[in-house]
Amino acid sequence: MNNDVFTFLIGGKAGQGTKKAGLVVANFFVGLNRYVFQMNDYPSLIRGGHNFSIVSTSTKKIYSHYMKADLLVVLDQRSYDTHKDNVAENGLVVFNADKVKGNGIGVPITSEAKKYENPDLLEGVAGIAILAAALNVDKKTLDNIIRTEYRRNIEDNLRFAQAIYNATIYKIPHKFVLKQGTAKQISLSGSEAIALGAVAAGLDIYFSYPMTPSTQVLHFLATYGKKMGVVVVHPENELAVANMAIGAAFTGARVMVGTSGGGFCLMQEAFSLAGMVEAPVLFFLGQRPGPSTGVPTYTEQGDLRFALTSGQGEFPRIVASPGSIEEAFRLTSELLSLVWRFQTPGILLSEKHLAESSMSVNFELEKTSWAEPIMHENGLYARYKNTVDGISPLLFPPSDELIKWNSYEHDELGITTEEPEKLLNMHDKRRKKLQSLISYLKNFTTVNTFGTKGPVVFTFGSTTMSVLEAIDYGKLEMTVVQPVYLEPFPIWDLEKFRGKKAIVVEQNSSGQLASLLKEKVGVNVQSMILKYDGRPFDPQVLAKQLKEVVTVA
Amino acid sequence: MPNDVLSTQAEVTWCPGCGNFGILNAFKKSIHKLEDRKVLRNNIVLSSGIGCHGKIFDYLRMNGLYSLHGRSMATVQGMKLGNPELKVITFAGDGDAYGEGLEHMIFAAKRNADITVIVHNNGVYALTVGQYSPTSRKGFKGPSTPNGSIEEPLNPLSLLLEAGASFVARGFAGKIDHLSDLIVEAVLHEGFSVIDVLQPSVVFNNTYKLYNELTEIIPKPAETLEEAIKLSKDFKNHLPIGIFYKVKKPVFHKELFGEWNPVKKHMMREDRMQQIASYLSNQMRE
Repeated sequence: MNNDVFTFLIGGKAGQGTKKAGLVVANFFVGLNRYVFQMNDYPSLIRGGHNFSIVSTSTKKIYSHYMKADLLVVLDQRSYDTHKDNVAENGLVVFNADKVKGNGIGVPITSEAKKYENPDLLEGVAGIAILAAALNVDKKTLDNIIRTEYRRNIEDNLRFAQAIYNATIYKIPHKFVLKQGTAKQISLSGSEAIALGAVAAGLDIYFSYPMTPSTQVLHFLATYGKKMGVVVVHPENELAVANMAIGAAFTGARVMVGTSGGGFCLMQEAFSLAGMVEAPVLFFLGQRPGPSTGVPTYTEQGDLRFALTSGQGEFPRIVASPGSIEEAFRLTSELLSLVWRFQTPGILLSEKHLAESSMSVNFELEKTSWAEPIMHENGLYARYKNTVDGISPLLFPPSDELIKWNSYEHDELGITTEEPEKLLNMHDKRRKKLQSLISYLKNFTTVNTFGTKGPVVFTFGSTTMSVLEAIDYGKLEMTVVQPVYLEPFPIWDLEKFRGKKAIVVEQNSSGQLASLLKEKVGVNVQSMILKYDGRPFDPQVLAKQLKEVVTVA
Repeated sequence: MPNDVLSTQAEVTWCPGCGNFGILNAFKKSIHKLEDRKVLRNNIVLSSGIGCHGKIFDYLRMNGLYSLHGRSMATVQGMKLGNPELKVITFAGDGDAYGEGLEHMIFAAKRNADITVIVHNNGVYALTVGQYSPTSRKGFKGPSTPNGSIEEPLNPLSLLLEAGASFVARGFAGKIDHLSDLIVEAVLHEGFSVIDVLQPSVVFNNTYKLYNELTEIIPKPAETLEEAIKLSKDFKNHLPIGIFYKVKKPVFHKELFGEWNPVKKHMMREDRMQQIASYLSNQMRE
């Protein structure tokens, strides 16, 4: 295993608190000043099935979970069968002796849990007790962890955890030693990062209809939004979501909407409306495997081209995708600010893997952007004034001036028109706005580059994290190029790769980023590593794949 | 077209004699009446759907957003949430309100969103040259139903009453003063108000004569919801117009955020940074 990476995996049925256990374990590692990455895998159901949570930790920054566990805790047979062959060298398997037949250390978790109320919910707590035993953590520390993390039924949780700890500790053949780190960084999910980034930029109202993997942003803002100045509205459907958002933007409210592919399909007409009326609306599009309902709780990057071409007609739009949870925080604020500056819709394109994973982060609050409209100052107001940069200043009601936003093609006052020269005027105005946007973006970090030597690897979004970790794990010498902005496509930053050989890594079946790089920049894509089984890359497997394609090339 | 303070320079393109003229004139009258009752014109924002009715947006020198087909009820709910001090009104066709955007009507009624919807109900899709609409009578012959519509019409008023609408009225584009009073009452009503306006389409569904004969002003709203629903189903030899039902109920935005105003009370950057910092430090485990 790479350096000092330690991986904990707990698997069980939905409703047994495996995700919560993963979170608690991650927080414990955070307490050791170590870096963490947590990935939760769960099917689309409420009870039963197979859920697991993986937490990988290191004393240096870690960008991915590892599938090979050092400590595997399995609460049921299915979890054992699924993960038993994915245990690291010198790894330990601890299984629920009441439910599992297998090799490793058996602990009677279910029969112990049955002594309490809600035994199912307790079982996840066993994972923490077992980890404590495996790390030789003392009982008092374990008590403190349980007390801090489990607020309900504290006494039951404490007694249960101690019983499992006692039943496990003498069976552990060798204790793991985890060095204290120097990180002092909290672990946050991508959803928290996105929500907080929007808050930082001045978000007033978040509109959303629940759809995995965007739902956690809705839940977060519904819980914490009020204190942060954010109102949350969950209306009847995605059509209402997007159109309400545009209506609110008309009054000057900073709005964001959240959805996934299917919901975003329903928002297409409103997306185009935002382009036409020049409404500043930020759409958070959390990708999951498609087409159609697809695979709700898993990850994919199949909606890249969809995002780039959303909505009928021609109008400027801004699409960007964060390559880490820290970047998600900053980029969300930047996008909200940009859609306000340019009065056009924007898409924060992300995936389940980013939205629902957690990692150690250091948010630089001062680096966030603030959404501010360019306001009309004096004189007769024309909503769609054709200015030098194509940006028409805003004015909000109540006002003595006439403010008309119009879904029909319109004149500068916002009155419907069908006259050819007026059509040209507005089309040209919107094109000018796009050119202004491109000039403006040239001052921004539109592409991240990691490393300077070796073969060039292009990737985007959350796959960036997988690639970075794989390169670190495999000790590979490669230059990773991650376009953060995808529309306008940052050709100015990528031109140096014209005709250059490159590898492209992305999570879809057709190589959408690769095709974009060929089309827009003329990159000579030598090979693509594509993954589209709904699961994020495992850095160990990806490192091997990267080595292979380099050898072939 | 009179060049009054409420008109724009836009060329009016409704067919001569269209029922929409009646609605436009009634609306202008109600704006002046509302001003007498301290509702400033500038504090009103409008929206409209798509169809002949929607052209009213261009003809009124008032602020607003010309929305999509069926979505203007969502648009104005967003406006109200953004700045609750605004009075929000949307025009909608019967295709908008009872077809394409019916869900927004039902839910706006259900949550008692403080909006006013004026439905230009002409029983036909006029701008797309005469297809049947959600309120067309069975047997209606249009280019998409050459043998006559095989569907029963929707009864929008009973539907909305059942959904929880707190103000339900029916008006007639041919009775302008009556209609303008209805609009005033609807706008002043705190909560979801809808006026279903019987609107003749001179070309595709000329109902002037019929409505002139059948409409009958009801003196006062029904006392109970049950009575109002009964009234909404009463088509026997007459068509009642007026306020069917009016009840005071908590409104959505106040239930959601009390006296907050997202636009006017917009939390500034420093306060937000403090809140974020406090959230982040709460996550730190020692």
